Amino acid sequence: MKVLIVEDEKTLAYEMEEFLKKSFYQCDLAHSFQSGVMQLELNQYDFVLIDLSLPDGDGLEILKHAKENNPEAVYIIITARTNLKDRVMGLDLGADDYLAKPFYLLELQSRMQAIARRKFNITEDLIAMGKFGVDIQKRLIVFSQQQIELSRKEFDLISYLLLHKGRVLTRVQLSEHIWGTFVNDDYDSNYIDAHIKNIRKKLNAYSETDWLETVRGVGYRIKK
Amino acid sequence: MKLSTKLTLFIAGSKLVIVLLFVLALPFLVKEIASQYANYTLKQQRKKVLSILKENGIDYYLRGEPNYGGYTMLKEEFIAFSPVGPKVIVNTIKNSQVLIEGDTLNYRILSYSFRSKNRNYLMEIGKADASINRYNKPLQRFTLYVLITLIVLTILIDLTFIRIIVKPLANIINTKLINKEFPFRTDHERIKTSTTDFKYLDDSLVLLISQINEAFYKEREFTSNASHELMTPITILQNKMENLLAEESLDESSAIAIVEMMKTVDRLKKITNSLLLISRIENEQYIRKEQIKPLQLFHEIIEEIGHRFEEKNISLVLDISADAVLQDVNKDLMFQLFFNLIHNAIKFNRQDGTISVSGIFLNDGRYQIKVCDSGIGIPTEDVPFIFNRFMKTNLNSQVGYGLGLAIVKSIAVYHRIKITVESGVDKGTTFKLIFKGESA
Repeated sequence: MKVLIVEDEKTLAYEMEEFLKKSFYQCDLAHSFQSGVMQLELNQYDFVLIDLSLPDGDGLEILKHAKENNPEAVYIIITARTNLKDRVMGLDLGADDYLAKPFYLLELQSRMQAIARRKFNITEDLIAMGKFGVDIQKRLIVFSQQQIELSRKEFDLISYLLLHKGRVLTRVQLSEHIWGTFVNDDYDSNYIDAHIKNIRKKLNAYSETDWLETVRGVGYRIKK
Repeated sequence: MKLSTKLTLFIAGSKLVIVLLFVLALPFLVKEIASQYANYTLKQQRKKVLSILKENGIDYYLRGEPNYGGYTMLKEEFIAFSPVGPKVIVNTIKNSQVLIEGDTLNYRILSYSFRSKNRNYLMEIGKADASINRYNKPLQRFTLYVLITLIVLTILIDLTFIRIIVKPLANIINTKLINKEFPFRTDHERIKTSTTDFKYLDDSLVLLISQINEAFYKEREFTSNASHELMTPITILQNKMENLLAEESLDESSAIAIVEMMKTVDRLKKITNSLLLISRIENEQYIRKEQIKPLQLFHEIIEEIGHRFEEKNISLVLDISADAVLQDVNKDLMFQLFFNLIHNAIKFNRQDGTISVSGIFLNDGRYQIKVCDSGIGIPTEDVPFIFNRFMKTNLNSQVGYGLGLAIVKSIAVYHRIKITVESGVDKGTTFKLIFKGESA
């Protein structure tokens, strides 16, 4: 999958590139409006990540341009300008999603995956997780044909971990994905742990859950 | 006390003092006037008598007798002539007692010596004291009545006039000072007045209001700009740490250190986001057009943070009618407002505590929602400051950064919700929110 990152903050662009590379995305970087437009005329991309505030032009203009040359690509707007007007305008111009700074790269990748699945109509069968099967679209978790009841938040948690199988997710990353940007100021709370404990309890009634690992002091991971 | 009342009281008081002094002096004044007038009458009578004498000679009175005396029926006045020695020359007016037919009476007597037919005579014209002072009492009474009428009249005139003069001041107070909601409106009309002091006051107030507004807008703009500018560096930090954490060669202690750093950056991010949220609310970037059912809203909030109730085994009493509807609100902001209140109610609650949320219609038709907890409470002296940004109170541990209630306040102000707090240490905390206007 080819990704174009249009972001004038070079450090940020490099970090995004580094992260996405690990998931086998191929990244091109553009640090200005001009080079962004040029790259889009030269190449075809699957994903285009656009920062709205560029030194030499408005990111929304790039979006217009890009839509002509690369109508098939997935467009995600990344910006610190999070007012409603910009958001609506971006989505009107054909952006697929809108990510407000500051964001986690993990969240960015999840959004990219989700849009890609939707856009390219990828339907996955049950994903295996130990002896359990998970259907992320239908929000089901089954053990040999038997459906297991998890609460909404519990399912969100397990599916997010599953989407990033093999990677350790920290409590702040998990909490931001599940609770969004609510001003939740108790960053030392152990509610993620409480949820994990509940999930383990529910699943242990059927089978072992050693695939759901606790990484001490860091977070949680689903083994590859 | 109002200025017009004060002025009226002062004017009435000073008038009263003057009237009192006048009333005290009145008997003396009237007596003096009566006495002067009596003297004048006596002199007039002498003039008349002298002219009669000149025309008709002294015999007109004496008719051959050496003396003459005559008085009126009630002995109010008398006149007497008597011969005196050639050396006697008098022209006086004196008070003295005179015996007339067995009655001793007080008279004012004019004595005057004159010459007629080569002989000297003394003329005495008397006027009884009683007749001189006869009109004193009625005169005093009459003067008093006139005076009182005049005083009442002038006080009424003063009152009306003071009202007219002070009215611009009342206008200034009503339009520019009473019930002001921040930020102030600046489209005020100038008060019409010819009093320069009021004009100056009005101009100064308008100037001050615009300066305050300007300072407020600048602060708002600064918060907004600063928060925006912080977003990109925070993103970079956050992303760098994510990449570091993904390194496979990372040892455990470094990973833990990175996670700690991520937590700190997360905190920075949430503070910035909160400030940005407040500045967006203050900049009125949210639309207030939605209708929500508070019961449904609370169900959503409970679903969102239900797990937190379990942590402390807190029981929740939700007493809200299913028909209650809030008009013209922003759903996301309402969610945030009550989310923060419930969140605090849990955070500062004790183990096995309770939270009660109740909604009622007040007598005037407004809707009130009350959120009560059985928590640690807020010291009474801190209650007025809990909505301030970065205010933390009664906390023995670091549990937040003090923006939750500042957000609550700004959302409440934006929706014209009246919010009040009752609390005390170990007495729990109650937030009361009264929604303005029609909610049915």
